Amino acid sequence: MKHALLTAAAVATLATSAFAQEITLGRFFGACEDAGTDTTASVGEACIIQSIINAADAEIDGVSINTLPTDWGNYYDQIKAAYAGGTPPDVHVMHRHRIPEFAGIGALAEISDDLESVGIDPNDWSENALAAVSYNGGIYGVPMDFHANLWHVNMDIMAEAGLVADGKPVLPSSPEELLEHAQKVKEATGKDYLAADFAQFPIGVRLVLALMWQQNANIFTDDGTATINNDAAKNAVTAITQLFDAGLANPRLNYADSQQAFLNGEAAILVNGTWVVDFYTAEAAKSEVGLDNYYVADFPTLFETGATWADSHMWAIPSTLEGDKKMAALKVLAFINDHNIDWARTGHMAVCTSVVESDAYKSLPHRDEYAGTAAIARDTPPSERYGAIQDVLNRELQAIWLTGKSVDDALSDAEIEVQDLLDR
Amino acid sequence: MVGKSGNRLSQAQAAWLLLAPFLITYLLFLVYPFFQGIWISLHDWNLLEVAFNPDAKTFVGFRNYERVMWGRNIEWGLFTAPFWQGLGFVGLALSVFLRRADRLSRFNAIALGVASLLLVVLPGFHPGEEGRWYDRRFWPTVGNTLVFVGLAVPGVTISAMVLAAALNRETKAMGALRTLFFLSQVLSVTVVTLIWQIMFSPRQGLIANITEVLGGTPINWLTDEQFAMAAIVIATIWWSLGVAMILFLAGLQDISREIYEAAALDNARGVKAFWYVTLPNLKRTITLVVVLQIILHFQVFGQAHLMTQGGPNDTTQVLVRYIYQTGFRDSELGRASAMAVFLFLIMGTFSVIQFIAGREKT
Repeated sequence: MKHALLTAAAVATLATSAFAQEITLGRFFGACEDAGTDTTASVGEACIIQSIINAADAEIDGVSINTLPTDWGNYYDQIKAAYAGGTPPDVHVMHRHRIPEFAGIGALAEISDDLESVGIDPNDWSENALAAVSYNGGIYGVPMDFHANLWHVNMDIMAEAGLVADGKPVLPSSPEELLEHAQKVKEATGKDYLAADFAQFPIGVRLVLALMWQQNANIFTDDGTATINNDAAKNAVTAITQLFDAGLANPRLNYADSQQAFLNGEAAILVNGTWVVDFYTAEAAKSEVGLDNYYVADFPTLFETGATWADSHMWAIPSTLEGDKKMAALKVLAFINDHNIDWARTGHMAVCTSVVESDAYKSLPHRDEYAGTAAIARDTPPSERYGAIQDVLNRELQAIWLTGKSVDDALSDAEIEVQDLLDR
Repeated sequence: MVGKSGNRLSQAQAAWLLLAPFLITYLLFLVYPFFQGIWISLHDWNLLEVAFNPDAKTFVGFRNYERVMWGRNIEWGLFTAPFWQGLGFVGLALSVFLRRADRLSRFNAIALGVASLLLVVLPGFHPGEEGRWYDRRFWPTVGNTLVFVGLAVPGVTISAMVLAAALNRETKAMGALRTLFFLSQVLSVTVVTLIWQIMFSPRQGLIANITEVLGGTPINWLTDEQFAMAAIVIATIWWSLGVAMILFLAGLQDISREIYEAAALDNARGVKAFWYVTLPNLKRTITLVVVLQIILHFQVFGQAHLMTQGGPNDTTQVLVRYIYQTGFRDSELGRASAMAVFLFLIMGTFSVIQFIAGREKT
């Protein structure tokens, strides 16, 4: 009898360890229904990441992954509510800019001592990648990419306007030249020079931020003083509004509409991120799409210093995770880290030096055209109020180009409100 | 209930027993959270920090209310907002005059008087020299919510009434149409906003296509300051027409045919009959629909959140969305709760009005 009990206990132990650990995973990037498990064939952010997750689910022994339904626009609200309710996902994606907010209160696990156990080599990450996941000397996640604003170019329209030299687009080097080029495009083709989402998501904010950084200015200082109501901001804003005023760009397009305008061949330039390079490449190859001759350029320098808005995606696990569950979650992080090259197919810049130096990476479509972006990547100083600050800027900038608010009023209002947020 | 044994329940005991499931749920999920909300509103309460460390909150009394609703150097002036305050004075004068002339019931006169007085007092507050509102977005957000309610409620009420009057016939076609018009009501807000975002799209939307056929330039409904609120109101009317229409249909069917026959003898048919017979008989239904809609639409969130993200330039930012952002994006639960209590007071007022109006004899 005793023997039987012991056997039963042993069998039970074996059985529990043989059961797959279920890992819940939270992410944005949108939904992809049939991503499959082939990480090398999928196209677009949503499908590439889901194919990596599906492959992890199939290939890691003893781990099954349940991707939670989340909505992109409300992702951080959902994650925060989950943390506050004590049920955060076991693994979740986040932006570099959110680390102060989440790690600052101890929500994220510090994993620098755990990386080696699952075969993640932080020495392979570039210096910037390591900095992206570090907070107060600890490592709080596994970096997945650098992403930045690029200029997506329709070479046919540029050629028609005489703005192509040596097979490369001729891009402006000053606000005056920007207006000049835009006028050339309008005269030669009747089309808009530049399209971007100025009406909804903060692409317009990122444009203005880049132009401020190019003047060695910023919207607030490290010690928490808002610096928005100044000449640098005015120069940055008017560099863009001059296009609207002259009817050379449309401020009322949102993300989907501006992208559609570019793909339809109605605008020479689209300002958007690295995340669409593979998608636009695929679209340009289709005969029914207006865009045929697609080129990707670094964000041009209109002032003194090169700069473009950039951020990083990274994967983190909650500090409350322990034991086998934590081990399983770490294995998922390791799997994603091993597939850095697949994620880079989206157009994002890889974080692993071994990947960046690989031929597979270098030969990705258009990759050589925006090789300069990594060096000019910038972001605002870290702040727990990042989301709210972006919203203030988005609102006030939209007020300028959508509702005719004067630049001075908008910038002074923005400064007051950002200062309020920094003071809270 | 006839029982032989002595341990049968008294009527009161049986009532409590049967009410218990409801009462427990009600206390647990409505009363308790309500007082918890008020409690939170008196604290500096960070959503994430308190979740990880229950001691991370500090009692601040009414500071959240002050930070949200008040400001530095706030003054009151009689001519700060001449239009609204003037309207308030006209309302006050009207309520006194109409009551004297006995054209208004006592209740209606008091209601009009109180509303007018608020109109005189509230818009009069403004920051004086060197002054400012602590939260510059709160009152404009309240204003937007009022505009939304002010447009959506008459919109829903009138269109539902007209539809109900038109569909109040017992043919198969009308029955089918009634179902059809009610169908939009069962959709969730995500589906409704998706449908209308496509409708309003300046590129592929139905409305843009029609405008183009008619030779106009398509409107950027959702990103144009002048049309964004209208777009949300239109989607809302389409969405919440159903229940109001059913209520009106019920009210219409209560009106005796004989009254219409008598009216017809006096040569009142069609529009005239609607004006002199239908409308007066629908008075109670109209009050019910209006008050229900007011309470419902003060809670507008999904339409503004999903269609315009509160933009452009905050023109469609509404109270519940601001509460949501303050609580979840900014993690400031105390402040968000203070705003929620404010919203509760507004809706509570209208509930009381509905309660009193419901008891009044017509």
